[in-house]
Amino acid sequence: MALAFLIPVLSFVACPLIILFQRWIPGRGAPLAILAIAGGFVLWVLMTLGFLGASEAHPACSVNDITGALTCHFSTTWFQAGLPGVSATVDQAIHLDWGVLIDPLTVVLLGLITFVALGVQLYSLEYMKGDPRFGWYYAWQALFVAAMLTLALADNFLLLYIAWELVGLCSYLLIGFWFENPGPREAAKKAFVVTRIGDVGLLVGILLLWLNVGSFSMTDAFAAVDSGALGDGTTTAVAILLLLGAMGKSAQFPFHVWLPDAMEGPTPVSALIHAATMVIAGVYLVARAFPIFAASPEALMVIASVGIVTALGAATIALVSTDLKRILAYSTVSHLGLMMLSLGALGWTAAVFHLMAHGFAKALLFLGAGSVMHGVGAHGDVDIRRVGGLRKAMPLTATVFCIGALSLGGIPILSGFWSKDEILLAVSHRLPAIFIVLAFLTAFLSALYMARAMFIVFFGPEGEDSRHAHESPILMTSVLSVLAVLAIGFGWIAFNWPGSFGGFGTFVFYDHAEGFHFNIVLGVLSIVLAVVAFVLAWLVYVRRVRSYESLRGRLAPVLRVVERRYYIDETYQWFIDRIILTVSAALAVFDRAVVNDVGINGPGDVVRRAGVALRLHVTGHVYSYALVVALGVIALAIFWWLRSV
Amino acid sequence: MANFDQVSLLLLVLVPLAGAMLAMFLPKERPRDAWQFAIFVAVVSFVLSVIVFARYDYMVGGVQFQSEYAWIGHPLNISLDLGVNGIGAPLVLLNGIVLLGAVLISQTITRRSRDFFVLLLALGSGVFGVFIVRDLFFLFFFYELAVLPMYLLIGVWGSSTDFGTFLRTKEYGAMKLMLVLVAGSVLIWIGILALYVASSQAGSPTFNIDTLAQLRTAEAFSRTLELWVFPLFAVGFGILAGLWPFHTWSPDGHVAAPTGVSMLHAGVLMKLGAFGIIQVGMILTPTGAEVWMPVLIGLGTVNVIYGAISALSQNDLKYVIGYSSVSHMGYVLMGIATLHPVGLAGAVLQMFSHGIMTALMFAMVGAIYERAHIRDSFILNGLVKRMGVTTFFFAIAGLASLGLPGLSGFIAEFMVFTGAFRTYLPLAVLGVVGAAITAVYILRLLARSFFGEADPQWEHLTDASPVEKGVGGVFVLILIAVGIWPAPLLNVINTGVESTLSVF
Repeated sequence: MALAFLIPVLSFVACPLIILFQRWIPGRGAPLAILAIAGGFVLWVLMTLGFLGASEAHPACSVNDITGALTCHFSTTWFQAGLPGVSATVDQAIHLDWGVLIDPLTVVLLGLITFVALGVQLYSLEYMKGDPRFGWYYAWQALFVAAMLTLALADNFLLLYIAWELVGLCSYLLIGFWFENPGPREAAKKAFVVTRIGDVGLLVGILLLWLNVGSFSMTDAFAAVDSGALGDGTTTAVAILLLLGAMGKSAQFPFHVWLPDAMEGPTPVSALIHAATMVIAGVYLVARAFPIFAASPEALMVIASVGIVTALGAATIALVSTDLKRILAYSTVSHLGLMMLSLGALGWTAAVFHLMAHGFAKALLFLGAGSVMHGVGAHGDVDIRRVGGLRKAMPLTATVFCIGALSLGGIPILSGFWSKDEILLAVSHRLPAIFIVLAFLTAFLSALYMARAMFIVFFGPEGEDSRHAHESPILMTSVLSVLAVLAIGFGWIAFNWPGSFGGFGTFVFYDHAEGFHFNIVLGVLSIVLAVVAFVLAWLVYVRRVRSYESLRGRLAPVLRVVERRYYIDETYQWFIDRIILTVSAALAVFDRAVVNDVGINGPGDVVRRAGVALRLHVTGHVYSYALVVALGVIALAIFWWLRSV
Repeated sequence: MANFDQVSLLLLVLVPLAGAMLAMFLPKERPRDAWQFAIFVAVVSFVLSVIVFARYDYMVGGVQFQSEYAWIGHPLNISLDLGVNGIGAPLVLLNGIVLLGAVLISQTITRRSRDFFVLLLALGSGVFGVFIVRDLFFLFFFYELAVLPMYLLIGVWGSSTDFGTFLRTKEYGAMKLMLVLVAGSVLIWIGILALYVASSQAGSPTFNIDTLAQLRTAEAFSRTLELWVFPLFAVGFGILAGLWPFHTWSPDGHVAAPTGVSMLHAGVLMKLGAFGIIQVGMILTPTGAEVWMPVLIGLGTVNVIYGAISALSQNDLKYVIGYSSVSHMGYVLMGIATLHPVGLAGAVLQMFSHGIMTALMFAMVGAIYERAHIRDSFILNGLVKRMGVTTFFFAIAGLASLGLPGLSGFIAEFMVFTGAFRTYLPLAVLGVVGAAITAVYILRLLARSFFGEADPQWEHLTDASPVEKGVGGVFVLILIAVGIWPAPLLNVINTGVESTLSVF
């Protein structure tokens, strides 16, 4: 377990090696990145075994009284600044550690990251084949994964922030990987800037925490919150600020705009961003810092509200989008909203569980979409109106994509069903009735848009782009198959299987272990909704009992608003173009015309003009000097006389 | 080695100065000889600066390698007192690095190159002098020695640019820079003389910083004196640090200056100002400092936000970096004004980090300008295709400037924020916002000029030369190394911060 820090370090080392030596390494460095992440996966297995075998007897491990989880901690000094020697003045210095913190949350998250990243990198071998910057792609992949793994392992908020920003950088590099085209270039910039705005909140929150706790350590911060040393107002402020960061990364309203555009990157990158890195960082942050959130009912309410607004809003947009990857992207936004909602409802275990289940399903769906693009030879986007009936040409892709769609749509016994149900249960327990109603609506829409995408792409009439479609290479489909198995079966670890451990909730929990609960009313209702949604979509898009053009006609005004994504992107664009850039241009003119030309040149001009004017008095005529001298003497005499009087 | 320590600081000043004088005797018509000679001198200076930094014992702290050479005795009592503390030592190292880089990059100077390098080395000597001198008279001397060559360097070797709506000639840039900085010098000189007079009234006339500090501790300076002298130092030195609203000399100077000069200008020259505020203003007039710091941190915050927003709408690459420097020096001023150990240490680290980062940016912009003869970011496009290495280095410097963790800028800015959070919370939040604005203009620049479709008119461009690659590569390594392992620098800086703040 003490070697857990090597999990990210392997990939960190791989990155510069690939950049420097890609010309000489076979496969342009790709094997190095894959080896690094595979090594990380193996180390994760060893770490997990070590952790499962560990107890409080282990010198580095103890049960945290606040989270109730066994927590192992390893750290070493990084640097000190200020006056570290003067012990009397604690607030006069900062002390920072490199440290890893291993608890059940870290364990499951590292598993998800290493596993999905390994799959994505193997898949990319085929998908990115022939790209002129193949080596760079793997270099950034390695850095991306390394940063995300660090984020999950960090034992203090500053290290978390560092990893957090690096994750942002790598998503910038990978979304903008095909930077020759304006789409990816703009999308990358948007992703970085939007998340960075949230990060201002995160950094301010971390510093505010430091100001009151005197340390960046998470354990210290939680203890301070728990003991009441932080005060209610500060706790809420810190929680909201941290939430801002989480909202940026996890694409929560109103910071969600970057994620749908982020599909401009290579599709395997989207899979990674949506399933195992980047967007789950926000949910992870809230889950990790949960003692702070749990101490503030206001903050919990804000999380829940943000979550439900995002979940519902994004689900409606997903329903009307025509681009396959965009549908999946809005679906991610929606499901992240559900996770936030769950956290806001104190459904901590449910949120983490859904994070995992959604992660596997979404990786599967994105890689499946990539397989579709590979199959039809599309680059950039797949308009679902132009492909259709791919079931015959790409049977394997079709099968696994359907599994992913059904799982995410909440069809029973698949993973997504169990995790979504847990969320609904938590929401019904803790939050006002409106939340559960809207959550059900979201779940219904979620099933509907997944069904729509699945039926149109694979079952509908053959589209114009799907004539020459072919199945993807074996490497890609094998990755898909493995993920499909998880999309089916991962959810089953929620149960208390006889002879094994007591279920997900007894391992990953906050405060107290939870068994698996199943509420018959909620369960039946959600099954009915999901099935109805799928049947409805089947009737409309496959059987065509009702032409959707006529449906569209009736809903036209509403649809226009939804299709334009509620004008949120436009509003931002307007604000940047009209407000920020105008202010900036005005300031630049002000700086030149007022500060420089008046403030700096002005005195210079005055001096120069004075020189020009005074020059006229230097006539060189002795009598004019004599006149001035005489006048001066007379003036002095009068002055003297006046004073003496 | 102990004997060497005695003279190492003297050598640090004399080597570039002697180099400058010897260079005058080089044959006029052979530019390459002058360049090679300057490299030799800069390498020796660099080695000396590394030795001084490495041998500075941070466990002991305080002023080290002290030596004294009497010059004018009674009644003026001026002597060349040398000695370096924990704040000067990292900056000495910075100057060694940037001077060498600037000399190497100036390979392309062919017109009157001998005279160019004479002035450049003299400038370097002056900068070293300010960082290691303990006597106000000589501090002022070295300060002027560092500033005056700028006038000729820009006026003779610079370039004029027509921006359509307005014109920036090299003569204008040089003249403004000179006059504004001299105006600052006047304020500093008044302040120095005021302290000298106060010390003679106390019975021991001296220019020595440490003696003056002792006099102050013995309450030889009145509160009123401190109250009016500190602003003189803060504004006088602050002008050189790009203090708003006296900052416009800096971006205009950059636009006119040749690459090597821009590197020194933003890399080390602006740091002299910040160093002066700490080393003279804070140590000798702490009471004034305490009273005036809220104003200074306010202005520093204006610097940060104002510089960043101004940079946002600039099209010329050098203007963008020039305003970005104004913004980043704002963090230095903020850190100083916190009077908090972490904030002050952050300010010093930011000086080092910004020096490397901005010198790297100017070196890369210079490489582009050399080839494309244009710096307009709207006309330059898709440079990455032909100038991949240049783009990579520029991007790293840009990321350091927007405070990306893992690079040196983040640690420094973060420390400044930490200090400011303790002392002036709302301004600290504005500072964090400033870092986000930086991200916008840096990324816009990268997207616009460096990435994007390859433009056929830039097909002929060639990538960085071996010298440019070497300089850029080393600077990038420094940015990464400090970002990951800042402890070697911080250990030294912490001692300097401790001795500086002990006067409060």
